[in-house]
Amino acid sequence: MSARAAEDLGKALADQAERLLPCVHCGFCLPACPTYRRLGDENDSPRGRLHLMRAVVEGRLEPDSEAFRTHIDRCLGCRACEPVCPSGVEYGSLLELARASSGPEGRGRLARVLLAVMAGSRLRRAAMLTARGLRATRLPALVARLGGDAGPPGPVRLGAAMLAASAPGRLRMELGRGERTAREQPGSHRTESPGPAPVRQDPMRGKPGGSEPAEPAGPEPATRGRVAVLAGCVQAGLFGRVGAASARTLEVNGYNVVRAKTQCCGALHAHAGSLEAARALARANMEAFEAVSPDWIAVDAAGCGAAMKDYGELFSHDPAWRERARAFSELVRDVTELLAESGPVRGGALPVTAAYDHPCHLLHAQGVRETPLRVLDAVPGLTAKVVADADECCGGAGIYGITQRELGWRIGADKTAAVLECDADLVVTANPGCAMQIGAGLRLTGHPSAVAHPVEILDESYRRAGFYEHHATRPQ
Amino acid sequence: MLTRPLAEIVGPEFVISDPGRLLAYESDGLTAYRSTPRAVVLPSTAREVSEVVAFLHAEGVPVVPRGAGTGLSGGALAGGDAVVLGTARMNRIIDFDPSNRRARVQPGVVNARLTELAAPHGLQYAPDPSSQSACTIGGNVAENSGGPHCLKHGVTSRYVLGLEVVLVGGRLCRLGGPEGDPLASLDLVGLFVGSEGCFGVVTEIELGLVPAPEEIRTLLGVFESVEDAGMAVTRIMASGLLPAALEIVDAETIRAVEASVYAAGYPADAGAALVIEFDGSRSGLGADALAAAECCRESGAREVRTAESDRERAALWKGRKKAFGAMGRIAPDLLVQDATVPRTALPAVLDKIGRIGDRHDLRIANVFHAGDGNLHPNILFDRTDEAELAKVERASKEIMTVCVEAGGTITGEHGVGADKREYMRMVHGPAELAALREVKAVFDPAGLFNPGKVVPDRETGEVVPDARAGDGTAEEPTTVGPRSTTSIGSPATEAELAAAFADVRERGLKVAVVGSGEHEIGRPPDWSVTRISLARFDRIHRYEPADLTVTVGAGMRLGRLASIMAERGQWLPWNPPDFSNRSVGGLLATAEGGALAGHYGGVRDHVLGMRVMCGDSRVLELGGRVVKNVAGFDLLRPLVGGLGCAAVTSATLRTFPLPEAMSELVFEADGIEEAAELALAFAAETEPAVSSTVDWSGPGPTKVRVRLHGRKAMVEVRGKALSRRARPGSRFVEASLHGRATADSGFRNGVAGERTSGTVDAGETARDLRLTWFALPAALGRTLALAKKSLRGLELEARAAVVACAKEGWVSAVVADPFGDDDLWVEEARFLRASCKGERSGGRGPTLRVEGAPGVSTFDGEESGPPWTAETKRIRAGVRRIFDPWGLFWDPREAVSEAPRKDR
Repeated sequence: MSARAAEDLGKALADQAERLLPCVHCGFCLPACPTYRRLGDENDSPRGRLHLMRAVVEGRLEPDSEAFRTHIDRCLGCRACEPVCPSGVEYGSLLELARASSGPEGRGRLARVLLAVMAGSRLRRAAMLTARGLRATRLPALVARLGGDAGPPGPVRLGAAMLAASAPGRLRMELGRGERTAREQPGSHRTESPGPAPVRQDPMRGKPGGSEPAEPAGPEPATRGRVAVLAGCVQAGLFGRVGAASARTLEVNGYNVVRAKTQCCGALHAHAGSLEAARALARANMEAFEAVSPDWIAVDAAGCGAAMKDYGELFSHDPAWRERARAFSELVRDVTELLAESGPVRGGALPVTAAYDHPCHLLHAQGVRETPLRVLDAVPGLTAKVVADADECCGGAGIYGITQRELGWRIGADKTAAVLECDADLVVTANPGCAMQIGAGLRLTGHPSAVAHPVEILDESYRRAGFYEHHATRPQ
Repeated sequence: MLTRPLAEIVGPEFVISDPGRLLAYESDGLTAYRSTPRAVVLPSTAREVSEVVAFLHAEGVPVVPRGAGTGLSGGALAGGDAVVLGTARMNRIIDFDPSNRRARVQPGVVNARLTELAAPHGLQYAPDPSSQSACTIGGNVAENSGGPHCLKHGVTSRYVLGLEVVLVGGRLCRLGGPEGDPLASLDLVGLFVGSEGCFGVVTEIELGLVPAPEEIRTLLGVFESVEDAGMAVTRIMASGLLPAALEIVDAETIRAVEASVYAAGYPADAGAALVIEFDGSRSGLGADALAAAECCRESGAREVRTAESDRERAALWKGRKKAFGAMGRIAPDLLVQDATVPRTALPAVLDKIGRIGDRHDLRIANVFHAGDGNLHPNILFDRTDEAELAKVERASKEIMTVCVEAGGTITGEHGVGADKREYMRMVHGPAELAALREVKAVFDPAGLFNPGKVVPDRETGEVVPDARAGDGTAEEPTTVGPRSTTSIGSPATEAELAAAFADVRERGLKVAVVGSGEHEIGRPPDWSVTRISLARFDRIHRYEPADLTVTVGAGMRLGRLASIMAERGQWLPWNPPDFSNRSVGGLLATAEGGALAGHYGGVRDHVLGMRVMCGDSRVLELGGRVVKNVAGFDLLRPLVGGLGCAAVTSATLRTFPLPEAMSELVFEADGIEEAAELALAFAAETEPAVSSTVDWSGPGPTKVRVRLHGRKAMVEVRGKALSRRARPGSRFVEASLHGRATADSGFRNGVAGERTSGTVDAGETARDLRLTWFALPAALGRTLALAKKSLRGLELEARAAVVACAKEGWVSAVVADPFGDDDLWVEEARFLRASCKGERSGGRGPTLRVEGAPGVSTFDGEESGPPWTAETKRIRAGVRRIFDPWGLFWDPREAVSEAPRKDR
């Protein structure tokens, strides 16, 4: 980076100086930070990173210095520090600015290529098609199985494992097994009737969910307003089934689902510091959504939801878009938030044990802890176990496994171990990145179990309850 | 050039020397001070710490320990020549032992994690500084941290049982230990706690856990003024209630919180809010809460809210807990001050602080631990405004002056660090500062640990009344009063005492200071030791029941003191054998509080201040008369349990409200095993089960006594429930109940029979031995069996019941010395030593203290102690020299350690 560019970007951060000031250096964020917990270096803590940012603002540190770049890059962006901050420092958006300051030139080539692909819709579609094609060959699953199982995998093996983890096949198997088990069990409920009340084991909550098991009430009339669902990039490309499940379950719960022609939400770009690229995508998305004038915008990828709820922030410097973006962000909801509004309607029994892990961008960035579990509660017979340390990042964090190979692997390995502790039939989480990271982690350690979004489970439960039988849109 | 050798020890990724990366270490929680260290090193084991320190000290590089950097006094600040030693990676729980209520941890373990770990076992780690979610145990040890709940549960030092430390030059050393005899050495653990990283690096901490309360009840009183809230606090304390926390939030703070995103629902026009919290057993809390609510209403509370659920509790606490965050949002910078005043001085001090704010045109908001008078004035300012910064400094100093003038101190829990170093002169005179410098020099003569902290440098021209000028032999001391040979024996003034010391010194003898004279420590030999009695130092200097403090002469008998205090509804929760005849000074010298320590803390935790005369006749005024005080190294600690290494002339003690009722349940068990098991089961109860002891007196059934006290209703209900807890092989015999009027004496009476010291029996010569075995509580049955075996082996008759305390794990017996001959004692000692050795496992196990043969000696079964023994001996001798530079005082510990050595 030229000295000039560094200076300009340093200035951009300086404009935000007043947002750095609320940090009183109390240190409450230190133990919440996955990188600090593992490295013990205060530069790898939120307080340390904020201090580095302040040093840049004060002109005591160059934004392209190795110290600044190394530690800003090493942040997962999980925002676990935000809820514990007594002064309410907006760490997430400061991090994006800091990344913009340290500049995209510092990033690896692979990372830059990935971001470019996501930014263009044609390129993205082509890439996703290739990825799906590759996934269908089952080659990735094979590659993931190769190689030694100690130490971090190389980018190819990790990528293959992540791709393999995004495949729908396993989920079918797990749920199918549940179906069989239910049938085989003497005296067990038939699939159409509700199973036993869901049991929840969540250390963060006191008692099991209290809703009474009832006959599946059937779909609600569409009285809850118009909902447009974000298709997303990775979500649409590799997890199309989740989008479809979101649409179907929302309809069952009384929402009128409308379609909008959307882009990538821009989160990946913003996190990587490419704020202009992120803004371009955001503008396109706002226009596309506004065209269908929805009452709500549903997002089934936590990372995208967090980014879209922050569009107001992204345009805070831009008088032309500021108000529009703020009004837009007001409409954005995680799909589980909308479903929980209506209960959600209970479906058919799925006697499985699910390990639930909180996506950081749902829990820390959006403050959504309960609604995904409420969605699982609506599935009779399902036992949800919240993974130990579910509040901690899985190490996915976009392309962290590639940019911070060693550390990403360590964080992921801890998550894999915690998931295995649950001894569950499948893993549930509400973000594609987390799903692939956890899935890959399990796969690479020889435990290829299925990872699903809560709406996929609810969708399957509704299918078994027969809610879709009169619908044209039956699941594949 | 430091980087490479350090990297070889800890690994290159854990040495930070890049100037940019060092910025994160330029401040701790107090950002007003900044200084970039030379390097940061992050070791992960004690061995690495030792190697790092050895290397750096060999290079002459100072070391500054750092935990999570949450401190608020600049204690972890490192100058450009120093290397920061961060303990962030030393975050392992080494051993967690719920059955003994102990945990052994590395210093980087976060405070809150201990309680998370302990909770499933019905235990908790009591000290809860506001930063507990982030601060480390190592940092807590360095600062002797408090917290909102230390009003009832005490501060960090009460819970630190043992330490492993790396001293100057990298020497690894162990201090204390849970199975060790607390009198085996001076209380070096207590001295190390609160030393702010100036003595060495703590690498391992052994902590005591306590049973978690069955239930918590929280109230919020809303008042028109801080004075009214203060009045409510006074009423609550006077009524005999002992809340776990009493926190006041003032009007300025309420307005700040309510205007912020953290609005807690406190009425915005209120003058003050008082958070009251009780914890304990379910059966008593309701009545406590009602009584406290009544106190609030009588004091003019406009509203009293009570919490019924955890959620409501959190809501009531919110305004208190979010205060700092809220203020951080309304002002660019915030200076959190810390000072303690006698509680009754709070209203006047607050008024003066308000005026200081007005005078300097600064906003000052107050939140404070009202129960113990610990103030936190928060000064709001903008650091970029230089003029304002100067005003903040002036206002801070004025606030400190006001607090000190009111009888308070400059820091209650945040420490001195870099911030308050110059304020130390407000509370310490030149002699005390010199003593603090000296203790630092004992541990760290070259000043290579955390330099520039705590004790201010000696000013040019500063006169230190140091009697040791010269060659250190028997010179005429400079501060001695008028000489009078007639005063030997029982001086009445400090001048007479000094003269007596001088006289003894001239005759080449040693001094044994005695209190009431009925309980000599370790039977000093007549031919070389002169006894000087402090029996005439028996005045009450100051008794402030509302502040929960009493300052009393060392010669005052505990019986007399207790009856004076009982009139004011207070007591000292101590029950040593022969309580009434013991003197205050004598009890402090042995730190023997009896079986109540498990609940109230030991004698060491109740001493707030002392006036002592050293062997060279210097007078030191240590501590203060406030219940929380971390202004400087804790020199009180080595004196309590110091076995007379200085002459304590008066002491300020923390008093407690006398319980409304006390009851004793007696059980009988078939054997000592069954009795130990039953006593251990009761020890795990939360209150009001206070103490459970086993009395074994040879043939006949063994007794288990359980004492409960607290509110009458609770004691009765709980007593009934516990009386049904007999197990196979044991049965309930009887219960007795005392009301408040007789609770105190009832308590003592109950105890008097349990441990009778031989010397009070008529016609007895002073040839008794007292044997006390110390071991982990869960091994109580085995320790009792060992005691039995040892007594049989020596064919000794216990002169009273052998008593075992289930909460603390000791077993104590008084026997008549059958030989009456110090030479024969050598044989006994060998046998006793061997008997302990047989019981040891993994280098740990029972230790045995023998008192009166002559002296006080401790055996741990090791023939030649572990390598650190020499080091602790060196430190002990150094600390002793601070108080006794010329070796005037007879040392009972040395007297006996010589005896077993004769035969080698």
